[in-house]
Amino acid sequence: MSEFIGDSQRHYNGISSVLKIDAKIFIAILLITFLGLVTIYSSSSGDLSLVIKQATRIVIGIFTMIFIAQVHPDNLRLFAPFLYFITFVLLVAVLFFGVGNTADRWLDLFFFRFQPSELMKIFVPLMVAYYYSNKPLPPKSAYLLIASLIVLVPVLMIMKQPDLGTALLIGMSGAIAILLAGISLKFFLASSLTIILLAPVLWMNMHDYQKQRVLTFFNPESDPMGAGYHLLQSKIALGSGGFFGKGLFNGTQSKLGFVPEHSTDFIFTAFGEEFGFLGVLLLLSLYLFIALRGLSISVKATDNFGRILSGTLSLTLFLYVIVNVGMVIGFLPVVGAPLPFMSYGGTSMVTLFATVGIIMSIKSHQRILRK
Amino acid sequence: MKTKARKDNIRKRNKIEEKYSWDRMNDADEERRSHSKRAIIASIIVLAIFTTYVFKLYQVQVSDYEYYAIKSESNRIRIRPVQALRGNIYDRNGQILAKNVSTFDLIIKKERIKNDDVFLNTVNTVLPKNKIDLVSIKEQLTNRKIKEVTLIPNINLEEYSIISVDKHLLPEMELSPKAKREYLHPFSTSHILGYLGKVSDSDIYSDVVKIQEGMTEIGKLGVERFYQNILSGESGYEKLETDALGEIIRTIETKDPRRGDDIYLTIDIDLQNYIYTLMENKEGSVIVMNPNNGEVLALVSAPGYDINLFTKSISSKNYNKLLNDPRKPMINRAINGQYPPGSTLKPFIGLIALEEGIVDSKKLVSCTGAYLLNNHKRPFKCWKKEGHGSTDLSYALTQSCDVFFYRIAELTGIDIISDKINKYGFGQKTYIDLYNESKGLVPDRDWKYKIKQQPWFPGETLNVGIGQGYFLVTPLQLTLATSTLATAGKTYTPHLLKQIRDSKTDRMDVYDYQDNKFITNYPNLDYLDIVHHAMWRVTNERGVGTASQMKKIRNIEIAGKTGTAQVYSLDKGKTDIKNLQDHALFISYAPFENPKIVVTVIVEHGGGGSSTAAPIARDVIEFYVNTKEELFSKNE
Repeated sequence: MSEFIGDSQRHYNGISSVLKIDAKIFIAILLITFLGLVTIYSSSSGDLSLVIKQATRIVIGIFTMIFIAQVHPDNLRLFAPFLYFITFVLLVAVLFFGVGNTADRWLDLFFFRFQPSELMKIFVPLMVAYYYSNKPLPPKSAYLLIASLIVLVPVLMIMKQPDLGTALLIGMSGAIAILLAGISLKFFLASSLTIILLAPVLWMNMHDYQKQRVLTFFNPESDPMGAGYHLLQSKIALGSGGFFGKGLFNGTQSKLGFVPEHSTDFIFTAFGEEFGFLGVLLLLSLYLFIALRGLSISVKATDNFGRILSGTLSLTLFLYVIVNVGMVIGFLPVVGAPLPFMSYGGTSMVTLFATVGIIMSIKSHQRILRK
Repeated sequence: MKTKARKDNIRKRNKIEEKYSWDRMNDADEERRSHSKRAIIASIIVLAIFTTYVFKLYQVQVSDYEYYAIKSESNRIRIRPVQALRGNIYDRNGQILAKNVSTFDLIIKKERIKNDDVFLNTVNTVLPKNKIDLVSIKEQLTNRKIKEVTLIPNINLEEYSIISVDKHLLPEMELSPKAKREYLHPFSTSHILGYLGKVSDSDIYSDVVKIQEGMTEIGKLGVERFYQNILSGESGYEKLETDALGEIIRTIETKDPRRGDDIYLTIDIDLQNYIYTLMENKEGSVIVMNPNNGEVLALVSAPGYDINLFTKSISSKNYNKLLNDPRKPMINRAINGQYPPGSTLKPFIGLIALEEGIVDSKKLVSCTGAYLLNNHKRPFKCWKKEGHGSTDLSYALTQSCDVFFYRIAELTGIDIISDKINKYGFGQKTYIDLYNESKGLVPDRDWKYKIKQQPWFPGETLNVGIGQGYFLVTPLQLTLATSTLATAGKTYTPHLLKQIRDSKTDRMDVYDYQDNKFITNYPNLDYLDIVHHAMWRVTNERGVGTASQMKKIRNIEIAGKTGTAQVYSLDKGKTDIKNLQDHALFISYAPFENPKIVVTVIVEHGGGGSSTAAPIARDVIEFYVNTKEELFSKNE
């Protein structure tokens, strides 16, 4: 039998151990947010107000992260069903009382507006981890069905909003959670096949603009001034950046409006244009580092809940990067997903820091177990 | 009891644990190992994706850098040509004939039009209907090359102030400054200056005009066409940085256009206008040329047309009106009107006969009012039914006796006539500085056979002898031929260009007429004198000369020759239909002793040369002498 010998944090020294955060991940994130601020400053042609707003969000995010890092994973597990359920209710509310122009995904709570789907990015993996935490692993197919429902129901609702990008991201993070929980490969392949078979159903339920995006993805050059325009201009911006980049404030493609959303979804393009391949390599390496360190934290976690949750969240973070960068380099369709810690925007910045806070909490509250 | 219950409890729990295999399945180490394995697989996948992405980015940013860099440049850089201001056109005395005035077009940028139909509706209600051309606006809307739609070209500020009352309905309208060509004497100079028009495909494939980037208007006719490359200057350009919407962010580089050079014509606009007023209600042409240097002082083709209409694309309605005008104002009669020369050809026929030894000054031909040719049933009539009696060459020219010339033409023969007559410039272009000049026609046996598939008939030679039949001349050819008489064969190619003023240095580049001599060989000047004298008699020998009834011009003597070209055979009886009336012609030079100007007058269906054409020439010469008094008094 295992024996509890004490919290691992005792072995840490310095401020990071006091704050229960992981200094290495934190520094990597700070670097990324800094690069993000620089890019926003440059591509907005020196608009400090945007930088200040974004910096404010980062600060709020950091506080959120530190706060969540203090929360013991056991408490997280305790509240997981409750948090999931509340957000689920909010999602329903959005469907009926949402605000926003084309895609009604915002909920106006008088004092602030936010997207419940953004919260689901955390709570779906949390709920899956919770669900599997007291089940014997590898899980039985019955558990898989319930876990799948935990993932699919909110995903379908978010798709209905319609926010295909977020829905797919959440769906994939749910899949990662289930995979990490220990589903057999055989089963995974079977379900993948099912999803592929279900693709036509998905297609028929998609909005025209979503279909257009997917079609454009497969043949972007077909309509260079139409739907494929974004992708083409994005590639031109990246490519013209070259090895060393055009230099700060010289990103003509992004600055002159050829690259759309140069501060939000296409910030990677704007960054790549000014900082070149070298900058892009550094940035991707930072993300890689965070993902791998997160995975190593999950390996060291003491229980299934911690392992599944930290592993899933780390991989999800990297997944966001893959989706966003894949979109701007033409690997994936333009779905509208922000680049973690870089894209200009409120809710996603805070949820991302919260995600990292959870990973840090799992790391800091590891119990050293010995046989 | 307590112990038993506890034992039961343990057994129950063990059963449950056994059922769910807690021991085996929930083993911490087992789970940890399982998770580690999956985490490692996940790490490998993450690394693989990372590598793929980095590889792809390397491709885009390093391998294909050149390709994308060029695309990026062409994305943001726009080269906007800046048209050069066109050179002005002046007359010989520096009076302005064509200039540029700045005007405004009422335009709307296309990107600001959201819905074409709504836009057209608004345009229709807001703008005055008589000012807009909806068809043209629609055309501009559909033409993808055009960035802006011109609603009202050349709008004046008064019109704009009226429209601007309703500007809130069409707020995207703006005034765009344009340089507009303005002709100060649009009717009288129409055939000399020509006009400007939009660059068309035929211009692009033309060898004579240079098309520059951004050029929208080009000389279509006249001097505007012939000196297009000089007048147009050189376009400059602006290298602009634009954003994705095409809005200009900044100018990177500019090259100023080079203003077109000014052109000074040999035309005397006062004389030109005076002649035009004389000719305004007639159809025909008057040319005044200095035979001593080839300078064309006036070149009138009547009627003229308003070349200002063509500035900023003439409406199709106006254009069709001009094209279908029965008076045919768009034909430049001076170089494209081809007329039978009538009796104005006689001096040249006479000279050929003299030079060929067919006649001499004393040889007489008896004129009985008609000439009979073998095998011809109908006699060839003289204009004077009662006949001229015995006439020598001089008298025949003075009286314009037809029979005399029938006779000498018959004796000379068509082969010699058609061969020798070329030296006066007939049957070929004069090479004046205007395009599309007509050649006229000198008929000969080959031509007759080729065109009509018929042999040459002797009677046709007789007709040529009096300038009728197939023989055709342009007024300008006639002017050049007269000049060779006036200068004893040492005249110059007619030209309109006097000098060019370089727009940069203001230096005058004077046209060198000496380079363009038109030499006619007169082997015996005595023969020429016979003709000269006869032409003097035409205007001066009272009661004998066909144009001697004219009032004298102080001390200036004119030499000339009348001509009446038949359009309709008189055999069929007299007619009053205007289009069947004879053409009236007159060639002349003055002063007789030292010719300074050659004047040619052709009035279509004007009747007799002596009654209609000669008085016009006389007035023209008088006007010229009066206004250029110093010129004539100095040399006298």
